[in-house]
Amino acid sequence: MDGVELQILWSNLIGIVSEQARALQRIAFSPIVREAGDLANGLFDENARMVAQAVTGTPGHINSLAAAARNLLAHTDMDQLKPGDVLITNDPWMSAGHFFDITIISPIFRNGRIIAYAGSTIHHSDIGGYGIGSGARDIHEEGLWIPVMKLYEEGRPNETLFSIIKRNVRTPDALMGDLGAQVSSGMIAAERLNALCDRYGLDDISTLSEEIIARSEKATRDAIAKLPAGTWHGASTFDVPGGEVIELKTAVTVDPDKGEITIDFEGSSGPSAMGINVVPAYTHAYATFAIRSTLNPDLPNNAGSLAPIKIKLPDDCVVNARYPSPVNARHVVGMYVPFPILKALAQILPDAVIAEGSGAVWTIQIQGKDAAGKPFTSSMFNYSGGMGARAHKPGLSAICYPTGVSAVPVEVLEASYPIAFTCKELERGTGGTGRQPGGDGQRIGYRMRTNSRWLLNTIPSRLAYGPEGIFGGGDGAKGTFQINGEDVADTRKREMNPDDEVFMITPGGGGYGEA
Amino acid sequence: MTRYSLAIDIGGTFTDAVLLASDGQSYVDKTLTTHDNLLEGFFRGVDLVLGKAGIAPGDVDDVIVHATTVVTNALIERKGPPVALLLTEGFRDILYIREEHRYDMYDPQIEFAEPLIPMERTFTVKERTFADASVGTAVDRAEILDIIAKCREMGIVSVAVCFLNSYRNGANEEEVRRIFAEEAPDIYVSLSSVIAPQMREYLRASTVAINAYTVPITRPYLSALITELKTRGFSQQPLIMLSNGGVIGAERASTIPVRMIESGPAAGALVACYFSRIFGIPDLISFDMGGTTAKACMVQGHEPLVTGTFEVDRRYRFKPGSGMPITVPSIDMIEIGAGGGSIASVDDLGLLKIGPESAGSMPGPACYGRGGVNPCVTDADVVLGILDPKRFLGGDMQLDTAAAEKALDELGAKLNLPRSQAAWGVFEVVCEQMAAATRTHATERGIDYRGLPLLAFGGAGPVHACMVAELTESTKVIYPPLASVLSAFGTLVTPAQIDLVRSLVSPLSDLDWAAVDAVLESMTREGGDALREAGIPDEEARFAHAVEMRYSGQQSEVRINLPADVIAARETKRIEALFETEYHHQYGLKLSGMGIEIVNWLVTASGSQADRPAARQAGAGAGRKAESRTVYINGKPQQVAVHQRSMITADDVIAGPVIIEERETTIFVLENWVATLHASGSIVAERTKGAL
Repeated sequence: MDGVELQILWSNLIGIVSEQARALQRIAFSPIVREAGDLANGLFDENARMVAQAVTGTPGHINSLAAAARNLLAHTDMDQLKPGDVLITNDPWMSAGHFFDITIISPIFRNGRIIAYAGSTIHHSDIGGYGIGSGARDIHEEGLWIPVMKLYEEGRPNETLFSIIKRNVRTPDALMGDLGAQVSSGMIAAERLNALCDRYGLDDISTLSEEIIARSEKATRDAIAKLPAGTWHGASTFDVPGGEVIELKTAVTVDPDKGEITIDFEGSSGPSAMGINVVPAYTHAYATFAIRSTLNPDLPNNAGSLAPIKIKLPDDCVVNARYPSPVNARHVVGMYVPFPILKALAQILPDAVIAEGSGAVWTIQIQGKDAAGKPFTSSMFNYSGGMGARAHKPGLSAICYPTGVSAVPVEVLEASYPIAFTCKELERGTGGTGRQPGGDGQRIGYRMRTNSRWLLNTIPSRLAYGPEGIFGGGDGAKGTFQINGEDVADTRKREMNPDDEVFMITPGGGGYGEA
Repeated sequence: MTRYSLAIDIGGTFTDAVLLASDGQSYVDKTLTTHDNLLEGFFRGVDLVLGKAGIAPGDVDDVIVHATTVVTNALIERKGPPVALLLTEGFRDILYIREEHRYDMYDPQIEFAEPLIPMERTFTVKERTFADASVGTAVDRAEILDIIAKCREMGIVSVAVCFLNSYRNGANEEEVRRIFAEEAPDIYVSLSSVIAPQMREYLRASTVAINAYTVPITRPYLSALITELKTRGFSQQPLIMLSNGGVIGAERASTIPVRMIESGPAAGALVACYFSRIFGIPDLISFDMGGTTAKACMVQGHEPLVTGTFEVDRRYRFKPGSGMPITVPSIDMIEIGAGGGSIASVDDLGLLKIGPESAGSMPGPACYGRGGVNPCVTDADVVLGILDPKRFLGGDMQLDTAAAEKALDELGAKLNLPRSQAAWGVFEVVCEQMAAATRTHATERGIDYRGLPLLAFGGAGPVHACMVAELTESTKVIYPPLASVLSAFGTLVTPAQIDLVRSLVSPLSDLDWAAVDAVLESMTREGGDALREAGIPDEEARFAHAVEMRYSGQQSEVRINLPADVIAARETKRIEALFETEYHHQYGLKLSGMGIEIVNWLVTASGSQADRPAARQAGAGAGRKAESRTVYINGKPQQVAVHQRSMITADDVIAGPVIIEERETTIFVLENWVATLHASGSIVAERTKGAL
């Protein structure tokens, strides 16, 4: 295929996944999907290799989805799949690292043969068990575990599974609606892909997929080949809910001859007793993201562009979670994975890297009864601190790197739950100083409009260690988390009095270069 | 007795003027936009067409309609006078925090547009309204007086107010307006609860900030226009085109400039509706391709689709998310960064990409001979032979073929393709990009685009429309007359119309009809006032109702048009049925057992459709006889007939491939298509053989 023909087909494929993602986002019940875009969509070839993805959401989801399709289909007799079959799982080790993320894979048939798979992962509003937060002591406390199963068999719903799910979650209606959205978006993808094949007279997409993946892989290897050979080290230290201090260490080895980069996490902190352990697929997702967003962000993200990036994980490690470790709040560590890698890359790509930022978004969930006594369970909602400074631009304020999710608007939350915010403003001066300053964090306060006690689940981080500046840039300010004006370190699920007020300041980003 | 109506459309480069006589005669002209004083170009255009028709200002006895880019320019140039923003205490940085969204996940270098109103001119007010509409803290007069004093010191001329939850209850915002009116009547106050009474504080604040920022520009501009028209002997107040596809009186428009932003493109979409009626084709796609972007709009049932939210001034690589959001009713347009000046390049994968970088008009495509060296879409069109370098803009501009060939040679080298194939690749890829955007846009809205006719205009639209049609599986393309001034013409076939929205969130099963009636009444009153000012007598005013609904717990709504009797009879069951049908249509889903809620009520107040046909263009001039030239189609040279549009008669049936030239644009009809002349003056191309 020449560069013209391929571009035309490729732009069609991108259109299909974008369409699928927008449909999902518009149907979704979970505010985290609609408002924050916490979802991933991808199209996989007949060999379960990710070919195209929608530009949405989070690297944690997108790159994990790439692994999920492979894992799911490895556990399925692909030859036995029939039109109308839909596969489901939320197995943390097979998909996105915690139970909340449910992955749906639908085979796409053409003339009786599977030519591709449509996949999506979204963060559901509830999955039973512990709820949001890192307080569960093993994975089974964290909620409902759905192994790889058929959610639909030849178009017929798996009623047994549906009733098990409904009975085991706090928000069954929203979950059913969102699952419906995922299934429906897979059907849309199947229809569109067949229409594409009709339009261009294709029997399948194997040639197209092979070309795109091969070219993406070659372009990535070519970019790596331009880097100097060697091993560079980087480390990042941060604290997580409960005060535990985590250190992630990476040795990034560049092999320009092979066009490969290997990231070794040897020396990083061991497993945690808290639910912040990260499954390998999720670590892989954020590690490859760090390389991809630094090296060549314009390249499509697919099996080819990911292939030249290898990850090595030591056995006992917080970023190599093993059963039955709790993993619920794995993002709190996972979203820091890029930083030690960027610090290593800073030594060879100083203009492309960014300084350490606030890292993980701070996540909140509230549960209780409103003033009229009606119970509520909120979906989780997130707030960002400051992003680290870039070589030639300041860090962005109230923006997270590496994730890309949005915040749910104050008015949407206040309309949905009996929460009242007392403030949400930038905390100016929290970004590190520097030739380019880091982005600022924000101050956020809230209380409940209720007469009863309520539950608060929050996942702050960097309450003790602020993000480091780079090349002489100043550090970003550490965060603050207070209840009724008192600093609180243990933020696991807490029972709150009706009048209690929460106040927090998210961390600022590190600066770049001497001021 | 012949009546005359006049339309002026001020665009980024040209100011277009159309004078339409009720006997169907039209007089059109173009003049350069005068950015320092837009009215200079306005009246130059007016003089040109009045001169052509030989009539005096007093003879223009029908409407004078105006579409203008003045608001968009003000937002991009940012040279407006100082404006202040009032927010709820504790929420000072709404415009800085935005949605906390890194809109391109992979690109760490993204940027945002700077807030329109900076922190130094943002004040917070101790006040609070809750989501249940209750007022927790009322506005304290002394605090507002203090802010007024500070505004005075800063020379503030206009103020935006956006308090939390004011979409539910605007009382605190109204109180601020009252105090300003008493103490500082010269400072114009825009309230978010009036301008955009919808949930989501950033969207509302961004919208009201844009309004407040542009009011000090549009009010003097439009009042000068009104005065100058009067001085020159015109007898009526001008009507202003809004982005929702309606016109309203200039005085009212001057206070809601945020609704004027897309007025030119909206007028283009209105033309498509006009022709959809003439042709009796209810559903079609309007396709407008210019120098830097292409715009498409879906017409359904002779009406344009309308959206609630769009974005202006995308600052970073034209990316969605890098501009400022606006939430007011507006024609739902796809904007694609693909125009005649879009640059072709080869990416790291060896794929041919078009845009989003554009050579604009300076230096422009290589063939403009102004120093541009990058291969652009227009260069490819020249190399292919579709455009005649000697007759571009009727021969007013000579194109440099050699420069275009050189640019395409370099592109071809990177693709390993000969020049003519590289050029055909550019042609195909740009058309595919537009087709792909159209497909996504349509399917997102539950519309089956396949087979929908295209209505093509804009400088580059007719060149590419037939190919786009092939790629959207369409079998008909309409090339309307007056293509070069089509937006201006569009304002003349636009009804007076204003769209109003109010948030009133309520479960369908528990609807408070008294509250609904109050909301509908207030919108009906406001709409009726606007129509009266636009010269629509009360008996001609029509009011249509709609709701935006969703399953409880969702965050995204579906719009449902409500027949009048449904509201009168309070038939919630029928509303539910309408919703479920529409939801199924858009998403292929029916979620039985889920609660349903209404989020917004909408009223569209409109006058009747203006009937001002334009069949003949005065002085269109005689052209030459048909000739032929070599065109490289799919890499192969072919002799293709070249006709002059003005010479085509109703009896002609012209088989493609064929080129039909007119002064401002060129129609390129592919093989397996035939072109004919329609009574409306449009050229119509239809596919003769089965699908691609």
